[in-house]
Amino acid sequence: MAGTAGGAAVGDVTLRRVCAVALLVVLLAGAGLATWRSTGGATASDPVRDLAAGLRCPACQGESVADSRSPIAAAMREVVAAQLAEGRSPDEVRAYFAERYGPEVLATPPARGLGLLLWVVPALVLLTVAVAAMRTHRRSERHRSPAPRSDQPAGRLRVRARTTWNVGALSLVGFVGVIAVIAPPGSEPAPPASAVTDPVAAQLTLARSLEQRGEYATAADVYRTALAQRPVDDIRLRLAFTLVRAGQPTPAEEAARQVLAGRPDEPDALLILGLAQRASGRPAAGSTLRRFLTLAPDHPAAPEVRRLLDAR
Amino acid sequence: MIGTIGTATLAGGLVVASAATLLWLRVALTGSAVRRPARIATGTALLAAVLTCGALEWALLSHDFTVRFVAENGGRHVSTYFTITSLWAALDGSLLLWLLILGGYATLLSRPGPRARAALQSWAMTVVSAVSVFFFALTYFAANPFRTVTAPPDGGPGPNPLLQEHPAMGLHPPLLYAGYIGLVIPFGYAVAALLVGRPGTTWLRAARGWALLSWSLLTAGIALGAWWSYAVLGWGGYWAWDPVENASLLPWLTTTAFLHATLMSRRRPPLAGWDVTLACASFLLVLVGTFLTRSGSVESVHAFTESALGPMLLVFVLVTAVVVVTLIGWRARSVPAATPPSPATGPALSRQTTLLGNGVLLTTLAAVVLIGTVLPLVAQALTGVRTAVGPPYFNRTAVPLAVAAVVLMGIAPLLHWRTGPSREILRRLAVPGYVGLAVVAAVGLASRPGMLTLAAFGGAAFVLTGTGTLLVTRVRRDTTTTWNAVAPTRKPTIGSRIRGLLTRRRAIGGLLAHIGVALVTVGVAASSAYSRTTEREIAVGQTMAIGGTAVRLATVEREGGAAEMRVTAQLVLTTDGKAAGSLRPELRYFPARDMTVSVPGIRSGLLRDRYATLLAVSPDGGRATIRLAVNPLVSLLWAGSGLTVLGGLLAIGRRPRPASAQPATTDQSESPVAVGEVGRR
Repeated sequence: MAGTAGGAAVGDVTLRRVCAVALLVVLLAGAGLATWRSTGGATASDPVRDLAAGLRCPACQGESVADSRSPIAAAMREVVAAQLAEGRSPDEVRAYFAERYGPEVLATPPARGLGLLLWVVPALVLLTVAVAAMRTHRRSERHRSPAPRSDQPAGRLRVRARTTWNVGALSLVGFVGVIAVIAPPGSEPAPPASAVTDPVAAQLTLARSLEQRGEYATAADVYRTALAQRPVDDIRLRLAFTLVRAGQPTPAEEAARQVLAGRPDEPDALLILGLAQRASGRPAAGSTLRRFLTLAPDHPAAPEVRRLLDAR
Repeated sequence: MIGTIGTATLAGGLVVASAATLLWLRVALTGSAVRRPARIATGTALLAAVLTCGALEWALLSHDFTVRFVAENGGRHVSTYFTITSLWAALDGSLLLWLLILGGYATLLSRPGPRARAALQSWAMTVVSAVSVFFFALTYFAANPFRTVTAPPDGGPGPNPLLQEHPAMGLHPPLLYAGYIGLVIPFGYAVAALLVGRPGTTWLRAARGWALLSWSLLTAGIALGAWWSYAVLGWGGYWAWDPVENASLLPWLTTTAFLHATLMSRRRPPLAGWDVTLACASFLLVLVGTFLTRSGSVESVHAFTESALGPMLLVFVLVTAVVVVTLIGWRARSVPAATPPSPATGPALSRQTTLLGNGVLLTTLAAVVLIGTVLPLVAQALTGVRTAVGPPYFNRTAVPLAVAAVVLMGIAPLLHWRTGPSREILRRLAVPGYVGLAVVAAVGLASRPGMLTLAAFGGAAFVLTGTGTLLVTRVRRDTTTTWNAVAPTRKPTIGSRIRGLLTRRRAIGGLLAHIGVALVTVGVAASSAYSRTTEREIAVGQTMAIGGTAVRLATVEREGGAAEMRVTAQLVLTTDGKAAGSLRPELRYFPARDMTVSVPGIRSGLLRDRYATLLAVSPDGGRATIRLAVNPLVSLLWAGSGLTVLGGLLAIGRRPRPASAQPATTDQSESPVAVGEVGRR
């Protein structure tokens, strides 16, 4: 075909086209192979890491268990590995963590109940907008344009109406002004009961007495309120200790860690952290408590801790 | 004293803003030409905002701890610069900044404009003034920073330490706010168009420049936020899908879609639905974002109910949404009904279809980000269960959509408006397509970064080649042809070339922005797929390494002060055995707020950043735990964002209109034949 009239020019074009197609085939093959290799890599990946990447580290800010260096994340990775080795399915492992740490430990909520919205809403939006786009496209092909509308605003006010309007507007502005003057500019956030007594001190006394009566959960709430007003380590430790006794080791651990973030060798914080870890059955408990013993061998709680460690 | 003045100016602003709203409403309703009083009222509201901000700055600078905001956020130990910036370091003060910027925009918008837009302008001013009434009321009643403290302290804790780490704190929030709040003007114009009943293109021409300005500022604000997160916060990344980040991304996405919809509407049939909806959605998302980040509801539902602020904002968001939806529904009914569906006659691949496709993608992307951000809140409010939506969700949903959008972004500028791809177009698409495929093949065969990363690299290569070529041709053509038309005999000078470019700057700006986004894509893909990190505890004198990069811990220094304690690790950096400077990551502890900040040490390069964070130091100072990372191509993120902003700013301005080419109201008088011709420019 190329050899007939038209000669070299046509042949040239054909040649170029063949080259282009050949290049395209080669590139497509290369890109296909590259993509296949990239997806193929996923099968070889580490199931423990994959699962841990979908869990949020409870003690950190926005880091996954796979990435976080905190001890709690390390412990969680161990649990993941152990449970997967036992033959549990990833869903069972996730359910286990959700039960222990609350559903917020899962980085993506399960696709049921409200979690379904995460997938349904974007899909609905995609569908609606796509349909709208299609209609727009069709309509635009038919070159429809509405009849030009009148430039006139909706209505014109008569003179008398204008007077009424002016008076009304003035009184409205006056009303706003009066409200602004009369209404207190924002209610003062609950003023302290009396200027003399320190509210935090009162709360601490209350919490102590609650603790003595064994109402640990209520005491913890009061400590939390006090902590919000005076964020100091003493109250935080008190709160953490109460939480351990109230049987809530996870928030206790978090509070203890906050203290440790500022003062890594605070014995009390280490003690509470260790107790909290022990209460949640974390393997790190032993090492934390031992570190506490080396730092404060004469601490009043030291003998008790030694006894606990020996008992294990 | 200052507190009283501040409260008074705030109340005055509330009254004046109400007056301005009513005056503009009157102008709008009567079509009155007398706009002076309304304009004066708008200017006075701005003055009130300026005075209020001034009063709070004065209180901060004079350490007047009787003022509540100063007692909570001021401090004697804070430098003057950070004292000034502490105005926006906490909620109440940042609302004053909001008022100031809103007042500025309102005053700019109230300037006398073209007669053709008078009706639209007065309605838009009514809307903008009403919004400012709400924000004055919100600040005055729910978050007045000037309330007096009954027992003033001797000193304050200073602003949040995170916000004292870097001078960029002076720039980032105002930029972000300026971008955010500027979207009120396109919103105002959209509502005005709905009210006046002319969803033509007049309002679009008026709104487009404002939208571009806000979009550019918002882009700059988001980029600066990402940079701040990377260079100051020291967690190693720049984007965490955090609610605050998402709140700034949401209006950015819809405004991007809006800007592209305006392009389509110029070659219209009416796309009023798209334009109006996207303009309104952008501002609604601004309000939603403000609600999410300013009401404390993200932290906990408990914080939300603590002040009247959250409920007030929520009610305002809902009312605005209802009003907008009603208006759109009302107008949609009054516009002639759509023709019965007929088989699409247009080509499947034209610039219009790709733009529509990108609109669909961007809107869906916004929906994904919105539901991911809001769901934990909704779930907690409805069921009381705390849930979290983290990066895995966004990586699975938003990232593929974004990659697809990047690819479409590369294709669209290469196509004709209405006609399908001709042979010439196919040829134009071929080279970038080959380059894209080649990049995918090369990268994928050399490493295994994963499908999405590969697609991102390929798409970005496609955009860079295609759009780059287009840009070069355009620049070459515009610098010569424009001049030739004026003085064909003389050779173009540099000045004339620049002038030629500037008259065509809209198209060039758009292409530059696309190239910027493609560069950002490369930066994100490379840094998320190829970052390498190691973490170890080393003693002074020891070395740790990753790849060819090694650091030796030279010293650990401690400095103590009443306000701040610092531990600095001095790391000597070597690359492939050669000395390459040093890194100084720090841990800073602020006793007043009981807060530790880890500031990374970064050595930025064109191809990679060396990034070290100090995680912990042993009590004797002999050992330190260091995280060392090598992040490739992060520089492209900042360069690309800069180009995008530049492109957006360049594109502001009126379209050059050859005097005779098109009638002034193309939108109203296009004949079917003309459209095809015009479309093929």
